[in-house]
Amino acid sequence: MEKFKSIIRDYPFIAFIIAFVILAFVPSVVFTDVYQSHLATLIFVNIVVAAGLNIVKGYCGQVTVGHVGLFAVGSYTAGTLFLYLGLGFWVTLPIAIIVTAFFGVAMGIPSFRLEGPYLALATLGGGEAIRLFIENGNFFRSTFGISDIPTPSLMGFNFDSPDRYYFISMTVMIIAVYFSFSILRSGVGRAFMSIREDPICAAAAGINVKKYKILAFILSAMFAGAAGAVYAHMPPGYIHPNNYTVIEMVTFLAMVVLGGLGHIWGGIIGAIVITIVYDLTRPLYKYQLLIFGLTIVLTILFMPKGLGGFIDRYFLEKRFKKKTGTEKT
Amino acid sequence: MNKLRNVFSVIVFTFGLVATSIAQAETIKIGVSFRMLSDVGYKHGELITDTVAKWNKEGTINGQKIDLTLYNDECKSEKGVANATKLAYQDKVHVIIGSSCSSVTLPMVPVSAKAKVPQIIPHSTSADITKQGSEYIFRVPVSSRFYKIVQGKFTAENQGTKIAYIYGPDAAGKDFALSLADYMRENYNVEPTYMVQSGEKETDFRSYLTKAKATNPEVLVISALLDETVRGLVQSYEVGIPKSVHRVTASIGSKIEIPMNAGSAAEGVTYAAAFDASDKRPEAKAFVKMIKDKYGVVPDHDFSQMMDLLDILEIALKKVKFTGDLAADRDKVRDAIAATTDFRGLASGPINFCKSGTPECRDGNRTPVMIEYTKGGKNFKTKVAGTVTFNASAGL
Repeated sequence: MEKFKSIIRDYPFIAFIIAFVILAFVPSVVFTDVYQSHLATLIFVNIVVAAGLNIVKGYCGQVTVGHVGLFAVGSYTAGTLFLYLGLGFWVTLPIAIIVTAFFGVAMGIPSFRLEGPYLALATLGGGEAIRLFIENGNFFRSTFGISDIPTPSLMGFNFDSPDRYYFISMTVMIIAVYFSFSILRSGVGRAFMSIREDPICAAAAGINVKKYKILAFILSAMFAGAAGAVYAHMPPGYIHPNNYTVIEMVTFLAMVVLGGLGHIWGGIIGAIVITIVYDLTRPLYKYQLLIFGLTIVLTILFMPKGLGGFIDRYFLEKRFKKKTGTEKT
Repeated sequence: MNKLRNVFSVIVFTFGLVATSIAQAETIKIGVSFRMLSDVGYKHGELITDTVAKWNKEGTINGQKIDLTLYNDECKSEKGVANATKLAYQDKVHVIIGSSCSSVTLPMVPVSAKAKVPQIIPHSTSADITKQGSEYIFRVPVSSRFYKIVQGKFTAENQGTKIAYIYGPDAAGKDFALSLADYMRENYNVEPTYMVQSGEKETDFRSYLTKAKATNPEVLVISALLDETVRGLVQSYEVGIPKSVHRVTASIGSKIEIPMNAGSAAEGVTYAAAFDASDKRPEAKAFVKMIKDKYGVVPDHDFSQMMDLLDILEIALKKVKFTGDLAADRDKVRDAIAATTDFRGLASGPINFCKSGTPECRDGNRTPVMIEYTKGGKNFKTKVAGTVTFNASAGL
């Protein structure tokens, strides 16, 4: 076991290959109906957005409330590329990532001079402006939405149902999480954390604060762009500006906060829990927002570092007990 | 590795929580997805719940129990698709009712078609819904393709062709204004004197109305959401647009809040709808009384369409011999609904469906009614300005 752990430490991508293999078997082994694949796809999309949001907010400490706008840019880039040029998923995905990265630059520039609630307001305005631009633009089919966006196909195999599209969203999620971990464990990740802790000290230590801030926004936007494109091509292939409102933004933020800000697994855990809590409370639609809000408030009250922090503490204590052979006093 | 293992445990455990229920042969399952956000939205939900409870109590559907599942889609397409998928594959319903908003119903159609679950629409009017050609879709309300013709013809022949349009960004409001303008262009060769889309949640339309006034229109179309329409009507008098200019709204004009909140500004407003609360037929009077007593509101055409839908479904479900084979039962329900002919309920005209999945067969109500408010305020009054029944392919 120790040897296996050491291999994983040296070659972390092996863990992701194992994760890929395990998740590939989940639909046939665990799922009992197609809806669970649909839900899993939504979870994967949310994980990609939340993992990206965790980079800029959790690691770099920049308050952004406009991320849903970047998600919309990804979706609508894919949607309009299909609508006007007839392009499919394999082309729209990389283009959506690149286009959203440019929007990430625009969203990140205010962070040079603004902080905290001021930056939050600026990014909130940016996100809402994107949605309103789409909603009022006939080019984007306005409030009629873009429909019939095709699902991807590969060597004649069409991923045209939730149980098939699961594999596309799962692959994108695994790649995104792998990159997220690689970034955050690298020198870039450490630079982000130093900016989060104290930007002046970080600058004094030779870190180009502006460069890393904008890099955090770009990387984060790329994740949102990828998620947006995956979301746009998800069966039945329909996007509408109503799906990119402030409520969705708050949900994304809740995922990161619940999972644990700055925790490497934070966004992932939060995305899984929030999506499932939302789904389980679907029949209780009258009380859904109450249950949803209460879950977040209680988590913040009793687990201020989120679920990630709670899990970390559990393992730390376990390791402590194992090393010292003592019970916690 | 420990962390990785724990995350996978969480994934597997939580997916397990979403475990499915198994279809029961003796129970008929109905799934609902529509906008249950506002007070009225909740009341639509209560109307379905109460009606199904009555069926169960009285054993209306051949003594079989009806299991009802209601989900809120918040008028968001993503949630509508998730609801339809969950109802079709996990809840294993025999029929789906929904949704209210066209932008939600549109993406739900491919889901129900793929899962082969009959879907019956209570409120959505967008013509594109039935144009998708699904054999499993049925629409109780009047399609926008009929609304635009009746409104266009009525306006051109009775009110004038010099029309100024102010419309909101919502799909229904925008669709109505643009379709009407297209119809006037194609059939009467007239361009709008003024046309503008207002912003989301914008409530001060006076600058638009002043510009519209400067074009000396004969007709002013205000096509937006409820509050915006009310404000537009009131403000049209504030900027001095005379009463002689005919005010037209989309089918949202049928909502009681329009005359209640707009007061005298609602007088003379015309709109096309599928039901008029001042309908003198005994069944309509009884329905208005029932809704007033039970839910405390005067029913608009959304209420009447929901009631008609439930009546059509009741008749169809009674005809079906359920076997416990879900796929076969769903097809039987589809065929039973498709067999609905000359259903005369609360709607302005008969509702007819037929076998093919074409708009001709699945846009059930082809009889929009033109209604005019003769008095605004709490004790508002309406009169029917005209009714026309179209042939099935009109407006396609």
